[in-house]
Amino acid sequence: MGKYLLKRILFSIFSLIVVVGIVMLLVYSLIKRNVIFETDDMWTKKALNDQKMYEYTMFQKYGYLTYVDYASFLKEKYTAKYGEGYESQPDYIADRDAIKNPDTYESNASVQEFKEKYKGDDIVYMAPVNYSNGGMKPGGRAYLIASHEKSVFSRLWSYFTSLVTVETKNMVKDERLTDRYIRFEKDPYSWAGFALVGSGTQHKYLLYFDERFPFIHQNFLHLNFGTSYTTYRGQEITSVISEKTGDLKKTLQQFPAKVGTDEWEETAIDFHSLQYNSSDTVNPADQENFNDRYTVYNYKKTGLSMLGNSFVIGLISVFISYLLGVAIGILMARKKDKLVDKLGKAYIVFISAVPSLAYIFIVAFIGTSVFKLPYKFATAPADAKILAYILPTISLSLGSIGSLMKWTRRYMIDQMNSDYVKFARAEGMSEKEIYNKHIARNAFIYLVHGIPGSILFCLTGALMTERVYGVPGVGGLLINSINSHDNAVIVAMVLIITTIAITGQILGDLLLAKYDPRISLSSDSGGGRK
Amino acid sequence: MNDEKNNVINPTNGADLGFEVVGNDAISSEKIIAPRYSYWKSVFRVFFKKKMNIVLIALFVVLVLSAVFIPLICPYEPQENVTNATAYNLSPAKAMEQFGHSFKWMLGTGPQGNSIMYNIFAGARTSLLLAVVCAAINMTIGIVLGAVWGFSKKLDAILIPIYNIVANVPFILVVAVLIYVLGSGFWNMVIAMTITGWLGVAYFFRTQVMIIRDREYSLASKCLGTPIRRIVSKNILPFLTSVIVTLLATEVPSYISLETYMSFIGIGLSAEVPSLGRMISAAQTAFLTYPWEFWPPVIYAAMLTIILYLLGQNLADATDPKTHM
Repeated sequence: MGKYLLKRILFSIFSLIVVVGIVMLLVYSLIKRNVIFETDDMWTKKALNDQKMYEYTMFQKYGYLTYVDYASFLKEKYTAKYGEGYESQPDYIADRDAIKNPDTYESNASVQEFKEKYKGDDIVYMAPVNYSNGGMKPGGRAYLIASHEKSVFSRLWSYFTSLVTVETKNMVKDERLTDRYIRFEKDPYSWAGFALVGSGTQHKYLLYFDERFPFIHQNFLHLNFGTSYTTYRGQEITSVISEKTGDLKKTLQQFPAKVGTDEWEETAIDFHSLQYNSSDTVNPADQENFNDRYTVYNYKKTGLSMLGNSFVIGLISVFISYLLGVAIGILMARKKDKLVDKLGKAYIVFISAVPSLAYIFIVAFIGTSVFKLPYKFATAPADAKILAYILPTISLSLGSIGSLMKWTRRYMIDQMNSDYVKFARAEGMSEKEIYNKHIARNAFIYLVHGIPGSILFCLTGALMTERVYGVPGVGGLLINSINSHDNAVIVAMVLIITTIAITGQILGDLLLAKYDPRISLSSDSGGGRK
Repeated sequence: MNDEKNNVINPTNGADLGFEVVGNDAISSEKIIAPRYSYWKSVFRVFFKKKMNIVLIALFVVLVLSAVFIPLICPYEPQENVTNATAYNLSPAKAMEQFGHSFKWMLGTGPQGNSIMYNIFAGARTSLLLAVVCAAINMTIGIVLGAVWGFSKKLDAILIPIYNIVANVPFILVVAVLIYVLGSGFWNMVIAMTITGWLGVAYFFRTQVMIIRDREYSLASKCLGTPIRRIVSKNILPFLTSVIVTLLATEVPSYISLETYMSFIGIGLSAEVPSLGRMISAAQTAFLTYPWEFWPPVIYAAMLTIILYLLGQNLADATDPKTHM
C-alpha cells in the first residue's frame, strides 16, 4: 500500500513536470513574445534603442532569456582594477564611449574581450541613432549586449527549484542586522498571547494566532508561482490570489514600539504581516512606531481574498449538492417510475444537456427579478454583501446536484436488483432498513470517490459563475491571463489546477479504499483486506 | 447429385396408399427456417414505437435544415446597419415597425443594427458544424485506436502513460491553453478540441473492447483460428454499436456547450465568425436592458443541445439489442 502510494505520487510529480514543461514550451516559444508589451505604458513611452533595452530587461524578468550588458561588464572589469572611483579613469571612459561609434567599435580591446567572454551568446549591437546635425535622438543611446535564450529545461528547473521557499534566520541579506533568531515571544496582537517570531527572516511572525479562520497561520513556507506581467502588473501571483479585498477594517491598535504605553491608534494595519524592510532609509514616522526594521505591512480588509471568495462559494455549493443530490437520488430510486422519478429525470436531462451558461443566466434572471437579490457582486450593498453570495452558490450547485442525482439513482437501482437485497427482503427486514443499511451504503461507495476532488476544486474557482456574477475569485484568473498574454499566470494556473486534479484523484482513491475494504489499491495484494 | 437422392425414394409405395409423392426438395431442406431478422430494422422499429421520438426527429430535422439553409439563402450581414444609429438595439416590435414585417426582423436588432434572427441561424450553423467535425474526428480516431489498443500490448505500454498524464489535466485547460497558443478561429478550435479529445474516447473504448474480448464466444472464435482483424470487426464492434451511439449522444451536444462556453469567456472563435456563444457573450451586459438580444440565442442553444441529447439517448436505448424483445 505504502509502496503503491509512493509510486503513484512519484508518477504524479513526473506528470506535473511534464504538463508544466509542455505548457511552458507552448507559451514561451510559440506565442509572439512582443504581444506582452501591447498594454505596457512604460514600453510605449520609450523609443528606439531604449525601448529595445526595456524589452530585454522585461524578457529577462519574465524568464525568456538572460543577458549581459556591456556597461555592467565594464563596471565589473574596472571596479576590480581601480575600486570605487573607476568612473573617472580615462581608459574606462574610452572603453565606455567606444560603442558610440558604429564604424570603429569592433577594434576596441574591451569590446573584443566582451565578445570573447560571451562567445556562445547572441551579441546584439544597437548603433546610436542620431539626428543629421549630430545630436542624439531620444532613446537613441548605443548598447552592446550578449543575450542567451533560456531553454525549456533550465526554465523548468529554475521554476520548480524556486517554487517553495522556507524562511530561515539568514534569509535577509543585510549586514546591519546582527541579532538573528527564531523563538517564541509575546504577541500583543493575538488572543493566544504568544507567537513564533523571527529576526533575520523575511516575515516577522512565522506562526501566529488570530481571530480569522483557521485561527492559526504560518509564514514559514511560501509558494512562489512567479510574477504577473499584464493582469496584475508586477505583483506576485501568490499575493494576488491570497490578499484580502474590500474596504479597510480599522480597529484600535498599538504600534510595536508603543506597546505598553497608552498610545492607541485607529488603524487597519495587520501587524502579523510585517516584513523586513531592506531599503537604506526608513521613513521617520516608521522609525518612531516600529522598534525594528520590520516595517512593511499589509492592511486588514473586510472582504475575502480571491481564493477565499471562490472557496466559500465552492464549499457551500459542494455541501448543498451532496446533501440535495444524494437525498433526491435516493428518493428517485425508491419511487422508481413514479412522479418524483419522472420529474427528477427531466431535471437531469435538462441540466446535462443545456449549456451551463443558459441555466446560470436563468437563475440570475429569476433571482434578480423575483427575489430581488443583488446581481453583480460589486454593486451589492456593503452591509448585505452576504446576499451577493447566494445566486453564485445556487448557480454552481445546480449542475453538480443533477449529476449526483443521476449517479445516486443509477447505483441505487443497480444495487436494488442484486441478490443480497432479495435475501435481506426474504429475511423479513423492513424496506427502510434495507435501503438505509444496505443499498445506500453500497451505492455511496461510488460517490465517495468524488468528494476530495470536488472540495479541492473549489480552490480553482468556478470560471463561468464568477464571470457572470462578477465575483472577484480565482476562476477568471486563467482566462484573464490568457486574454492579456500573462504567461507567468497561465503557467501558475496550469500548475495549480493540475496539482489539484491529481491530488483529488489520489485522495479519492484512498478514501474509496478506506470506505470499502474490498477495494485494494495495489494490484499485487490480490484484493481483499490484508 | 440431386437426381441420385431422389432415386433413393421408391415412388411406388406411396401411390398404393393413396398419397401423392412430393419428393424431397433438397435445396430448401438445407435452409434453417427462422424469422427474418435485420438488426437496424429492429432498431428503428423500437425507436419509432415511441411517439416522442418522431417529434424529436422532426424538430431535429427542422433545426439542422434551418441552420444549414437559412444562412445560405439569407446571408447574415453584421455590418449592414452599422451606419444607421436608429437601428441599434431595437426591440422586435420597433424593428418590425422600422423595417417592415419580415422574418428577418422578428427578433429585433442587436447593438449594431444587425438582425438577431439571422445571427442565430448563422451562429447555430457554426456551432453545429464545429460539434459534428469535432465529434467525427474524436470518435473515428478514438474508436479505431481504441479497438487496436484493446488488443495490442505494445500500444498499451505507450498510450497508458500518455493517458495518465493527459487525463490529469482538465480538458477545459487544454483547450484554453491551445487556443491561446494557436490563436482563435474555427479550425484552431477544432485542433484544440481534438488534439487530446480522442484519447478519452479511445481509453473508454479500449476498456469496452477488453471486456468483450475475453467473453467466451470471442475466445472460442479465437481458438477456431479466426484472425484478430475479423474478431474485431465481426465479434466486437457490432456488439458495441449501442455503446458508440451512447457516446455520440453525449459527445455532440457537449461540443456545442463547450463552444458556447469558450466563446462566452472570449477565447473561442474569432470575432468575425458568428457563433451562439459569442452572441450570448456580447449580449450578457444587456441581459436586463435588451432581453431580446440575450434570450433567443440562449434558448436556441438550449433547444439544440437538449434535442440532440434526447435523440441520442433514445437512439442509444434503441440500438441496445436487449430492448428488441
